[in-house]
Amino acid sequence: MFIYLDKESLLHRLHPVTKIAGLILLFIWAMVFNHPLYICIVFLMVFFLSILARSLSNLKKFWITLIILAFFSTLLWSFFLRGPTQLFKLGFIQISKESLLYGLAMGIRIDTMIVSGIIFLSTTRTEDFTQGLSSLGLPFPVSFALSLSFRLVPTFAATTSTIVQAQKSRGLDLESGGLWTRIRKHIPLLIPILIYAIRNTDLLAMALESKGFGFKKRRTYYLRFRSTWRDWLSLTILAGLIGFCFYLRLNGHGVIFHRI
Amino acid sequence: MKAIEVNALNFVYKGRTRKALDGLDFEQEQGEMVVLMGHTGAGKSTFSRCLNGLIPHFHKGNYSGEIRILGNPIMDKRVHDLVDQIGLVFQDFESQLFSTNVELEVAFGPENLCLPREEISERIDDALQLVRLKGFQRREPASLSGGEKQRLAIASILAIRPKIVVMDEPTTDLDPQGKLEIFSVARLLRSEGYTILFIEHEAEAAMEADKIVIMDEGKVVREGKPCELLKDSQLLENHGIRPPQIAELLEEINEPTIPITMEETLKVFEQRDWKISDENYMALLKKDEQRQKGYGKKIIEVKDLEYVYPGNIKALDSISLEIREGEFLAIIGQNGSGKTTLAKHFNGLLKPSKGEVRIAGEDTKRKQVSELGKIVGYVFQNPDHQIFADTVEDEVAFGPRNLGIPRDKISLFVEDALKEVGLEGYERYDPFSLTKGERQRVAVASILAVRPRVVILDEPTTGLDYREQKSIMELLQNLNRKGHTIIIITHSLWVVAEYAKRVLVLHKGKILLDDQTRKVFSQEEKLDQSFLRLPEIIRLSNRMGRTLLSLDEFKHCLKR
Repeated sequence: MFIYLDKESLLHRLHPVTKIAGLILLFIWAMVFNHPLYICIVFLMVFFLSILARSLSNLKKFWITLIILAFFSTLLWSFFLRGPTQLFKLGFIQISKESLLYGLAMGIRIDTMIVSGIIFLSTTRTEDFTQGLSSLGLPFPVSFALSLSFRLVPTFAATTSTIVQAQKSRGLDLESGGLWTRIRKHIPLLIPILIYAIRNTDLLAMALESKGFGFKKRRTYYLRFRSTWRDWLSLTILAGLIGFCFYLRLNGHGVIFHRI
Repeated sequence: MKAIEVNALNFVYKGRTRKALDGLDFEQEQGEMVVLMGHTGAGKSTFSRCLNGLIPHFHKGNYSGEIRILGNPIMDKRVHDLVDQIGLVFQDFESQLFSTNVELEVAFGPENLCLPREEISERIDDALQLVRLKGFQRREPASLSGGEKQRLAIASILAIRPKIVVMDEPTTDLDPQGKLEIFSVARLLRSEGYTILFIEHEAEAAMEADKIVIMDEGKVVREGKPCELLKDSQLLENHGIRPPQIAELLEEINEPTIPITMEETLKVFEQRDWKISDENYMALLKKDEQRQKGYGKKIIEVKDLEYVYPGNIKALDSISLEIREGEFLAIIGQNGSGKTTLAKHFNGLLKPSKGEVRIAGEDTKRKQVSELGKIVGYVFQNPDHQIFADTVEDEVAFGPRNLGIPRDKISLFVEDALKEVGLEGYERYDPFSLTKGERQRVAVASILAVRPRVVILDEPTTGLDYREQKSIMELLQNLNRKGHTIIIITHSLWVVAEYAKRVLVLHKGKILLDDQTRKVFSQEEKLDQSFLRLPEIIRLSNRMGRTLLSLDEFKHCLKR
């Protein structure tokens, strides 16, 4: 149910701060080019990282989503942008070679970012994340709350699905009707979900207090992380690659449209 | 020095007028195990939250009185000042656990106490040892069974090393096996010198306590030794507790009620020549057979059903069965055995991966849930997962409106459904202002209002006290007598014994047993293997070579 994979890998061993910085760098990397061929190379590199992280089993769960996202992104951008080389025209709909390529690039870019996120979540426990944020200077309650919210998503999703099933069993039909009716039909879902969320938060807060949350300003950690040459080396390589890509882009490579 | 001393404690929750605690006095010696009982709303949870300071610091309200923990007054102490003296374990273990693995869950408390890493590690070991979860360090909490999760929650408190452990109904959401695990952990903790306050509905937990305390309307109404209080069945029933059945039986036949264990009782029966009358027992069997002949047409047919969850997890495997109109069926099995997954096939919420399910002759694959909803109603476990309307009437009318029942009939159907569940006069009430037992009834009414032929209920008695459990089950019995087919999913085997006529035992997604209740419950060994421990009184009858399902049957058959 949860994405974290309890395995040993090069990426698992990295310091949480390195992983957070790495994730941000990967996001930036995905934004450098907007030519599908170039982004595709970035994507392949990130894909290679996910092999290193031994998180392919998680990617498998999402590959249909990845394909759908890439497909729709390609479709939408092709319609919305206009380029010089027209391929197809029907009434006000027109597709150019450039807009198609740009769309494809955006699709791969989204996938690259999602795959980066999956790698991060597959190799980082919420506790690592909390500790990483704390060592970046965030107060513990804030970093705890941030990482906890990731943790609670699956629980929340499971309850939501139970509530949907309960109301469906009472004949709630979410698929028919106009926009307004459909929105109104969500009230029988929203109210129980809201009440569940409030109760659950309340209980969790009590459990936390009962375990001494906020006992002292400082706290210790059971997990111990040390940054090693591996952390510095990985970040340097990543930053180097991105720097090189920036250089390429500034020299006019990997661009379809002059925008991000 | 007393572990806990409470004088004239009063508390009214903010925004309420009723006193949740009303002049409560209480005392507990160090090293004692006290079991606190009483019906829902008696103030037990409120009391437990006062002891570690959640009240009045977390839940605000009007507070007066005095509490001393290990001799020190705690009124001006915050929750975290008290954690190393008193630890509180909650009923709902799902929302208490938030870590990635077992050892980190246990580490959380000691980390907050700012302990050095080596000591945290030692404490994790000790705590996991006490709750018998050694070797589980790297497991994900979500992958544990209910009993294991609750034991983990206990361990996460023990690692803080409080002197006193308060457990607020830790077994309510557990299957019989899980309950036994928690009881045995409690025993172990007592032998290790912990002071334990155990809030519990089940008399079984109370047998070994040093003292039982019964609360009602926010104060202590009785306290005493288990052997005195547990034989007073009238007292127990008045306070929402199911009396130990063997003691009640002995009282009925005017034998001394001192032997509470099964072995002792068997000895008494032998000495005093009590036997199960063959004639009366045969009459029971004949009644079972006759009932079976009286069932109507097939309403649910399942053939070679297989269901695979995404991620290739096989939840159900080669399930075949038929349910006829008028049956009262219970589906039992451990957590994760596939009970709910199977039941969700009966109204089309889930569709078979292989095989087929037919409802009133129609293949569920070709039908919408909303169409099947008119034939099969499904009441989910937690009424709060479905209640949303401003009034009880609107809530109950939701189903009929959705399912296209003519407008002029809706109000009649709603009225009838509310009458059926005993909530007439509640039409204008806000469902959220009702008790859990009443909300459960609203949920049942909201399904009945569609007038389905089959009603499925997932865990209809969980979280209710004995009185509420009995009344919801009697309601189902009445519906069954009026011709509704009833299917319940439950952990509570006495409920099954007393109300269901047929039992389906699931084990790891397969049918282990499927037969009349008496026949299934006579196979005690097979049930034990599936960790389904029968109620004492049925075990007693099995030892005597017959299977009797209730106190009434026992009274009827016991002769000398």
